[in-house]
Amino acid sequence: MGLIGIGGQGRIHLRNCLRLKKAKLIGVADISETSLKFAKKLGIRNVYKNYDDLLSNQQIDAVIISLPNFLHFESVTKAAEAGKDIFLEKPLARNVAEGRKILSNVKRNGVKLMLGYNMRFTTTLRKLHEKIADGFFGEVEIVQATNVSHGPFTPKGGIKTLRSVPSWWFNKDLAGGGALLDLGSHLINLLSWYFGEVKNVESYLGYKFNMELEDSAICILKFRTGPLATINVGWFSKDLIQSIQICGTAKNLSMHLSPPSISHLIFRDIRRKLGIFKYDSYYTELKYFVECLWNDASPSPSGEEGLSDLQVISMAYKHSHNLA
Amino acid sequence: MSLVSFVRANDSSIDALKKAIKRSLNLIRFSFARSINKIVIKPNMCYYYPPSTGEVTSPQFVSAVIDIFRENLSINPDFFIVESDASAMKCKYVFKMLGYHRIAKEKNVKLINLSEEKNKIVDIKVNGWYLRFYIPEIFHESDFLINVPKIKYMADVKITCALKNMYGCNAYPRKSIYHVALNEAIVGINKIIKPDLVIVDGLIVYGKNTRRLNLVMASKDPVALDAAASNVMGIDPTSVHQLVLASKENIGNLEFIPVGEAFSYVKQSFPAKSVKDKIRETLASTYLRIFHE
Repeated sequence: MGLIGIGGQGRIHLRNCLRLKKAKLIGVADISETSLKFAKKLGIRNVYKNYDDLLSNQQIDAVIISLPNFLHFESVTKAAEAGKDIFLEKPLARNVAEGRKILSNVKRNGVKLMLGYNMRFTTTLRKLHEKIADGFFGEVEIVQATNVSHGPFTPKGGIKTLRSVPSWWFNKDLAGGGALLDLGSHLINLLSWYFGEVKNVESYLGYKFNMELEDSAICILKFRTGPLATINVGWFSKDLIQSIQICGTAKNLSMHLSPPSISHLIFRDIRRKLGIFKYDSYYTELKYFVECLWNDASPSPSGEEGLSDLQVISMAYKHSHNLA
Repeated sequence: MSLVSFVRANDSSIDALKKAIKRSLNLIRFSFARSINKIVIKPNMCYYYPPSTGEVTSPQFVSAVIDIFRENLSINPDFFIVESDASAMKCKYVFKMLGYHRIAKEKNVKLINLSEEKNKIVDIKVNGWYLRFYIPEIFHESDFLINVPKIKYMADVKITCALKNMYGCNAYPRKSIYHVALNEAIVGINKIIKPDLVIVDGLIVYGKNTRRLNLVMASKDPVALDAAASNVMGIDPTSVHQLVLASKENIGNLEFIPVGEAFSYVKQSFPAKSVKDKIRETLASTYLRIFHE
């Protein structure tokens, strides 16, 4: 495997790649010397400043692409043309048109494409999927999902260290969208996995930070299968919360996903210190991707699912109310 | 000893705020009877936090300060709201995100990114450290400097208020290089640039948590003001290295006379960290050192 992009998310993938049993990380590419040094320290021999060089490495069968949104189209297209299977960090693209072009290029070159929606690989959320399918909740009528944080401005590594925010995050053309695309895409993908196709969307967007991009959004989704869902996302808070509430005819459930409890964090750190690796959602999704490649199976979340998420987001932007 | 005033605004309206700022200035016997043509205002815009978190100076507060000076000075001076880029924060974004662009338009004042201004290198020695600062020329060209800080805890230097806010007057953007001698760097910049007046935006304060206090503090002496702020936060000023050092360097006086609102009342209202909080914090930082360094 090869890894393109060793920013915040890329570093998570890099560490996880090194733990994969059925795949070997052959090389990494990034424009930053610091990032390449980081990869070298972890034992990666082939480091490239230009990802074209990584793509021309014949030893590499598949690539993980963890680049800014505005580079997805070009990098996926080049990777597909080089015949590499692709794991792409969400979102698929900046908009529906770009997403369609990506899918067409992937299809034309006959490679596999999986999108990195790590929430889909969280143990509790996977169990929830089973429960919904098993009818545990009866008919689900109302769902509320929340993902509020400081978004791209969040201090790194859980430690209160302020970080420099790459300029593309502030640019609508380069990012494609704000909190709704960044955080909302996770929840839209998750709820679509649970409940199927979205029939109607309406949204309320907030612009507290006076940017072109929305920094908060409330989205109301009506699913063809019946449930009415509200998703709340925001980049405005110093604090972090991820939660989901499901109300059905037979059972209701409220689940707090993040921040994790102090005891959870302590156990995680002790395990790390002792070298006992815990399989988190980022690792699990990569492991699954590799399994799909070995078994020649189609991975999910697929490119088509990613396109469908973009269509919902596009509808949400179209049918949005600016309450400012 | 220097005067430090404490005034609480009746509510968060602009009129109540202006009244409180005016009273806080009267209490420290500040006189507007002077000729000022160019006023520089230095708020705290440390990061992309909304002012409601208590982390950054509210643009409404700065707007009220501008109004008061315009109403009380015999001539209408030019105002410049200044901040510099930092390792993690860029002025071109923070001015807009915090709403300062709106104030600039409404009040016809200029927003200045100090990192883009002409500057002069000044080398200085503090407590055995040789430090180099890049001092923007605007500070030499202006007649009056108003420091408008927040009042907050900060792990490395215990408190951040008037003295620490001046740190942002250094044009050099990669400020993390000063972190090896942060106390000395804070004192160094205050030796070079001295504010004429400090007015603290204590509308929303950030202690162990965020709290609306509608508090205004003012002083002509940044060290006295920080000593008072430190006291309010439950920290002995003589245990704050930057304050002791600043006093030794004759930047100001560690002793202060509180005027206005009962000092004990202000102290009681501030969400100060309890002994339990401090123990928890020490344990947390020890823990982070073990597991995350």
